[in-house]
Amino acid sequence: MTTEHPRGAASPLRHLVVAATAAVTLLALAACGSSTSPSASKSDGSTSAFGFAPVKQDSSAAITVWVDATREAAAKQFQKAHPEVPIKVETYDGGADGSGSFQTKVEAFNQAGSGWPDVVFSTQNNEAAWASQGKDAFAAPLDKGYLDKSFLDGFTPGALAPVTVDGTVYGLRNDLAPTVTWYDTALMKQFGYTVPTTWEAYQALGEKVGKEHPGYIVGTVGDSFAPEIYFWGAKAPVNVVKGTDQFSANTSDASSVKMATLIDDLLKSGSMAKESVFSPEFVQKYTGKVLMMPGPVWYSGALFNNPSSLKSAPGTIAAGLPLGWDGQQAVAGNVGGGTWYVSRHSANLEAAKKLIEFVTSDPSYQVDLAQGLPAYKDAGDKWLAKQAASGFFAGDFAKNVSAAASEVWDGWGYPRFSQEAVWAKTVTPALSAGKSLVDTLPEWDKAIKNQAQANGYKVK
Amino acid sequence: MTLAPSRAAAAGAPTGARQRPRRASRSVTGRWSRISYLFVSGYVLFALAFGILPTLYAVRMSFTHDDGTFAGLTNYVDAVQDFRFLPAVGHVAAFVGVWLVSLLVLVTVLSLMVHAIGRAWLSSSVRFVYYIPGALAGAASVVLWLFLLNPTVSPVSAVLRAFGFSTFVETIAPGNLPVIFAVIAFWSGAGGWIVVMYGALNSIPVEVLEAARLDGAGAVRTALHVQLPMLRKWISYMAIMSLAAGTQLFVEPRVLSQASHAVVPNDYSLNQLAYLFAFKQGDLNGSAAIAVLLLLVTLVLSVFFVIRGGLFERD
Amino acid sequence: MSATSTRRSYQLTPGAWLGRAATVLVLAFFVVFFALPIVWLLIASGKTPHQLVSTGAFTPGSLGALSANWDALVHFQNGIVFQWLGNSAFYAVAALAITLLTTIPAGYALALGDFRGRKALLTTTLVVMLIPSTALVLPVFLELSAVSLVGKPAAAILPFSFFPFGVYLTYIYFSTSVPRDLLDAARIDGCGELAVFGRVAMPLARPVVALVGFFSFVANWNNFFLPFLTVPGVRSPIQVGLTNLLASVPAFNFTATGDAAVELPTLAVATLLSVTPVLLIFLFSQRFLVAGLTAGGTKE
Repeated sequence: MTTEHPRGAASPLRHLVVAATAAVTLLALAACGSSTSPSASKSDGSTSAFGFAPVKQDSSAAITVWVDATREAAAKQFQKAHPEVPIKVETYDGGADGSGSFQTKVEAFNQAGSGWPDVVFSTQNNEAAWASQGKDAFAAPLDKGYLDKSFLDGFTPGALAPVTVDGTVYGLRNDLAPTVTWYDTALMKQFGYTVPTTWEAYQALGEKVGKEHPGYIVGTVGDSFAPEIYFWGAKAPVNVVKGTDQFSANTSDASSVKMATLIDDLLKSGSMAKESVFSPEFVQKYTGKVLMMPGPVWYSGALFNNPSSLKSAPGTIAAGLPLGWDGQQAVAGNVGGGTWYVSRHSANLEAAKKLIEFVTSDPSYQVDLAQGLPAYKDAGDKWLAKQAASGFFAGDFAKNVSAAASEVWDGWGYPRFSQEAVWAKTVTPALSAGKSLVDTLPEWDKAIKNQAQANGYKVK
Repeated sequence: MTLAPSRAAAAGAPTGARQRPRRASRSVTGRWSRISYLFVSGYVLFALAFGILPTLYAVRMSFTHDDGTFAGLTNYVDAVQDFRFLPAVGHVAAFVGVWLVSLLVLVTVLSLMVHAIGRAWLSSSVRFVYYIPGALAGAASVVLWLFLLNPTVSPVSAVLRAFGFSTFVETIAPGNLPVIFAVIAFWSGAGGWIVVMYGALNSIPVEVLEAARLDGAGAVRTALHVQLPMLRKWISYMAIMSLAAGTQLFVEPRVLSQASHAVVPNDYSLNQLAYLFAFKQGDLNGSAAIAVLLLLVTLVLSVFFVIRGGLFERD
Repeated sequence: MSATSTRRSYQLTPGAWLGRAATVLVLAFFVVFFALPIVWLLIASGKTPHQLVSTGAFTPGSLGALSANWDALVHFQNGIVFQWLGNSAFYAVAALAITLLTTIPAGYALALGDFRGRKALLTTTLVVMLIPSTALVLPVFLELSAVSLVGKPAAAILPFSFFPFGVYLTYIYFSTSVPRDLLDAARIDGCGELAVFGRVAMPLARPVVALVGFFSFVANWNNFFLPFLTVPGVRSPIQVGLTNLLASVPAFNFTATGDAAVELPTLAVATLLSVTPVLLIFLFSQRFLVAGLTAGGTKE
């Protein structure tokens, strides 16, 4: 192959062909090899005490725990309390902002047939949807004998919904993020308004604010989690998961359309913002001008009580109960909240159990150190009492948040894909371009269903 | 290009060329060819382990089901029929169109200009400044673009407002993305290529340029008739690499997707789609199929540059 | 714009003068284009989180804020950022050494050698360069996993040492800039092949060694995907570390609060820190890229 072509034109082509033929031949050879990956969980029909078939257990094996930077404190606290348990802590990004790190890595370990961590914390609350599925399912079922029923019953009602797939619990919730109705008591008094308790009254107030106090807002739809505040809170059936592979969404349902109309109306009146609460323009435009804002409980530390965000004065901000449609039971939505999983491949399930029970329920972490509302009821109550004692919030903070936490509507599912990403990509640009939300509903509907289908759901 | 006579004798050619000039070169080339194997051996080992075998594995995966049975073209058909596939093709084509042309033209022009700077310190400073963005990768640039494209806080807000964008979301409207990605990719990638081209320009003998000047050619004519032809291989190489990088658009949309909390979708480009298939949907075979399709497209397009640029020729 | 012509600039024809003015303008415009965002980043690193979103883009911050941001970064997980930088440096330099040892001789042989399979190797190199890297991540991970290297430094170093881009760069350089006759002359003088390579080719190849070395270092330093899978946790290089930092910014992770939360200006400091080594290496290798190559007279 060394003859020099005067133009050198034919040769690369010929070589590509040669290379291609060689590749195909090799492929044919490669295809003869077997590619069975060793399946770690052999289902021999026998259910052990754990409720699944574990790998060979070794009570002295060190457990590997993945946490995000914020949860490192939990792991450290555990090491302090249980120095006898051998544990290796690794920090990763926690799958924040839908990075999918957890799934990506597990997918790679599944292919390799080894390397899984024993316990994983994720900032996302829909990991169970994939971690419980497939022949290499990662997450161990927790309520089939592995954890005590009495412990599981200690969680706030509904707290384990995101980690429950087809009736089985596959993880533990770390913290709750129910939506409440934030409002500024000082502004309310100044303007002479009463706090609305229904969506209809909220809409009327928003229109009034737009006329009487332009520049002030009663909410924002600029965030990717806006549907979890407004549509979830309106009981809109746009994210319904049944079993492991049934999905339905209906944006033309009456409550979906009603909520979309409400948002359009407030956008028109100027009292509904289009900016994300984390954006610089939100801080610039609305510091001191947030009259009301339905949103998750973590707005407290992230926005109101945060010197680099809204920086509200102590004693002015209150968390009201979630809003409901006139004459209907009010429900809360939910934005986020971390989750813990145990690997089915763990060789030291006893140690793993000790760890997840500790980090979710022990007050030395959940009450003294954690910043979010603990999902474990007993720790949650103590945490709320502690917050209320700080005197930052006006009104009956602990009671309202606690009520909201157990009112999260169960008609909103946790599918294997991100509803937030669908909304961000289809609805946010449309609203920004001045389209109305009602007109965007069909497009949103189609985008949700496409995404569900691509992720293996049978879509109705 | 005059070839040394010894070159005519193809070393290792099975049929001995009989009219070989009787020179010392015969044994020399023979030895040289044996030593050549030694020279490439290390590289070949790495290429096998981390280039060729993984590639073949990926190709094989694209033709099998996840249980290893032969699947024919099923994965390809499924991938192409995915609702995100065609939009992604459109996005990538638009981006490559904008980016490739601007990159090739601007890098060549800028390299010639930088090369024409008389003072060494100035020339190297300019190259350094042009390169700086190349050092920013991945997560490092998320913060930057989060602010840069936001008219409220951007250092170039005047420019953004001149285009009529008043919010971040307006700036990153779907229609603007190919241009924005092209700007980001150019900003972070052009400096490196300018350095390469500068080195190539440096290797053009001074006498050649002097001769052109004595013939009365101006800077522009020298560039067109002397420097550009000598840069042919380099420009084709840059074109191929940029074409590959362009069709495999991944980092820029990923960064913007993070910065905008998914307003820029995470399935914007084909390569992102391949990633989603593999790691979000657990469809490794479909992912491999998309990758192979990408490779084929790049190869077909590259052949043109290989031939036009004489990449396989030797002077 | 050679030095001689600048001295005689008063003799320039109007056309040439215009051309020169245009050149200066274009170069200056691009200096601003490339540098402005970086200048902004420098300023941002000296602001408080609140100043960052509420003051003008070029309003300078304060040294106090800069040191506060620096402290926040250093305190993040007890200074793990330095461990990340150390990991990156180790991986990048080790891979760089192997890369240079394998690519420079290979490029040289491909350009100036005659051996069976030369073109096939060239073609293969080009093809492998064009394959989407995302497609290779998983197969390479499986290879490393099969020989149980995952989690060890070798898992980051070995894959990085395969650098076809560098082989091609070397190949083009040798085939366009080093005259064969020079090597033949040395051979006729009785030099062995290794001596020809070491004494004749290498001194001429300094610029390309600098180029390949530099690009290899940057590629290794900036690589994210493979290390993300193969060397997690405390062995992470800085790029993976930066994503962990980013994931601790409350805006990207609603659950990140309290001591572990990272603010954007802190991230700006981390970014600058991660870029510095690359820029230092650039400045260092630039010295070898200057003119003065003896391209032989046999080229036309």
